[in-house]
Amino acid sequence: MTPLEYLRVSLEALASNPIRSLLTMLGVIIGVASVIMLVSIGEGAKSYIRSELMGIGSNLLVINPGKTETTGMMHPPSGVHKLTLDDLRAIEKRATALVGATPLVVSSAPVKFENRTRDVIVIGTDDKFQDIRNLHVEIGSFLTPADVEARRKVAVIGRTVKKELFRDANPLGESLKIGDAPFRVIGIMEKKGMTLGFDIDDLVFIPVETAQELFDQDGITEILAQVVNENEIDRAKEQIRRTLIRRHAGEEDFSIVTQQAMLSTAQGILNTFTYVLGGIASISLLVGGIGIMNIMLVSVRERTREIGLRKAVGASERDILIQFVIESVTLSVIGGLIGIGLGAGIAYGARAAFPVIPVAVTAWSIVTAFAFALLVGVFFGIYPAMKAARLNPIDALRYE
Amino acid sequence: MELDRVSKVYVVGAVRAEVLKGLSIRVEPGEYVAVTGASGSGKSTLLNIMGCLDVPTSGSYRLRGEEVARKHDAELARIRNRTFGFVFQSFHLLGRYSAAENVALPMIYHGTPRRARIEKAKTLLARVGLEGFANHRPSELSGGMQQRVAIARALANDPAVLFADEPTGNLDSKTGLEIIELFGRLHAEGATLVVVSHDQRVAQHARRVVTLEDGRILDDHRNASISTGAPTR
Repeated sequence: MTPLEYLRVSLEALASNPIRSLLTMLGVIIGVASVIMLVSIGEGAKSYIRSELMGIGSNLLVINPGKTETTGMMHPPSGVHKLTLDDLRAIEKRATALVGATPLVVSSAPVKFENRTRDVIVIGTDDKFQDIRNLHVEIGSFLTPADVEARRKVAVIGRTVKKELFRDANPLGESLKIGDAPFRVIGIMEKKGMTLGFDIDDLVFIPVETAQELFDQDGITEILAQVVNENEIDRAKEQIRRTLIRRHAGEEDFSIVTQQAMLSTAQGILNTFTYVLGGIASISLLVGGIGIMNIMLVSVRERTREIGLRKAVGASERDILIQFVIESVTLSVIGGLIGIGLGAGIAYGARAAFPVIPVAVTAWSIVTAFAFALLVGVFFGIYPAMKAARLNPIDALRYE
Repeated sequence: MELDRVSKVYVVGAVRAEVLKGLSIRVEPGEYVAVTGASGSGKSTLLNIMGCLDVPTSGSYRLRGEEVARKHDAELARIRNRTFGFVFQSFHLLGRYSAAENVALPMIYHGTPRRARIEKAKTLLARVGLEGFANHRPSELSGGMQQRVAIARALANDPAVLFADEPTGNLDSKTGLEIIELFGRLHAEGATLVVVSHDQRVAQHARRVVTLEDGRILDDHRNASISTGAPTR
């Protein structure tokens, strides 16, 4: 018999009971569709995190006070030694592998214009922030070296702040109050939207030392440094580390986190998340396989006489085995294909309906899900097929 | 076809049943043999062993000089497919196939291309008197017609021997006779037939009658007086 003949015989058998075939496939369809769907959501989240993290600038190092593991993202400052502006200047001077470094003093304060007040995160920084952090002013100007040097009370506001406090009025040159201190608005930032669940447009930037005075701080929250290129990251890190250790009495009471480390931490979490979801979905695929086996066993029993007859007219054990394995594989493969279509359809549908949920159907998830479905068909089909093949023709013919 | 001291023992649980007890028989090409005997005399078992549907517990079965017992499944399937044709009491037609497709079934395992299969199936249906019924389903045919389809199927690969197990058992007397006459015609055309039946008319038409009793041959004689077996119509 040619492969085509086997396929024809198997398809005829499946077509003779279409409802049952479809219901049997349903298990595989749901299994494959959920694998594709969940893995797509996981992959989408990964690429979203990647683009967001890369969007904050390139080859960045974040220096925080307090020691944490190098891959940690969040940590409470231990406060042994604060980072200071002198630390920043020392880094700028000694770390030759850096393009530049900028300080950040982060606090929140009520910002008031006329009778409207809004609680906003206020960042004290300097003129280099724009390029290092990849956030630019759109209207007016950003903090100038002179503003920073002279500790002027000037502010650059984000889009959300502008909209909430000034509505349609032009804020440039206007005076707003941060806490009780009056500040003159010199610029409005370009619109950035949400990044990692954080509204970048809901910020106010003021000169760093102005912020230190305003919030009564002598340290700085973090230093953001940009390395010349990707290959110099380790060298830059080491330069900064040595510089700071020397300044901090030989103690490493700070941490330097690279952008890549943040990315790999986030991706690692999301990978685990994706695998767990995919794994759970695979269980339903497995259940689908058991459904196939169940139906094939019923089918073998029902068609005992047919099997006996086929053997009597010349079908070998191999012929019967192949016929039944092809039947179960056909169920799982067609189910798999429908499942891929359904899963991808739902994934793309979800992306169209909720653009916030980033979804990416990847080739590897399709290939894996399909291969798994095929495997399920072979694995769960082989036992019923062997049962069919080993039937004694005489007993089978007599079977009622 | 030569069986030498063949015995067959079935063991069901603790019960051991010896159905054939050292039976020897030889069938030559072109013979028309009727095997008769009471129920449980072992005639169906004999047919199954001769037809390679079953294997003897002991003894030797040589087919064209070759020992069958040593053959494995694929070879036995090949013999059933090309050398033998089977007709059963309850027809065993597949309900989802047409008459022609049922007849063509053995040809699938012979490797005959689909179009040639259907062509030959139609020729065979005409040969058993069912011209024009190729596309009917078995459920649309009478019992006698269904058995003719089954006979056409048995002839599909031009077998050397045609085996029939109680071919008239599920038919009324008139259609049973038609089937017996069909066998006679096939024999006249050169077919070798081994028919198991307790229908006396089968024994009357056959050229040789073997009577079994309790797993042994009780009687084996040739019919001298019998009709030519030529078609009566």
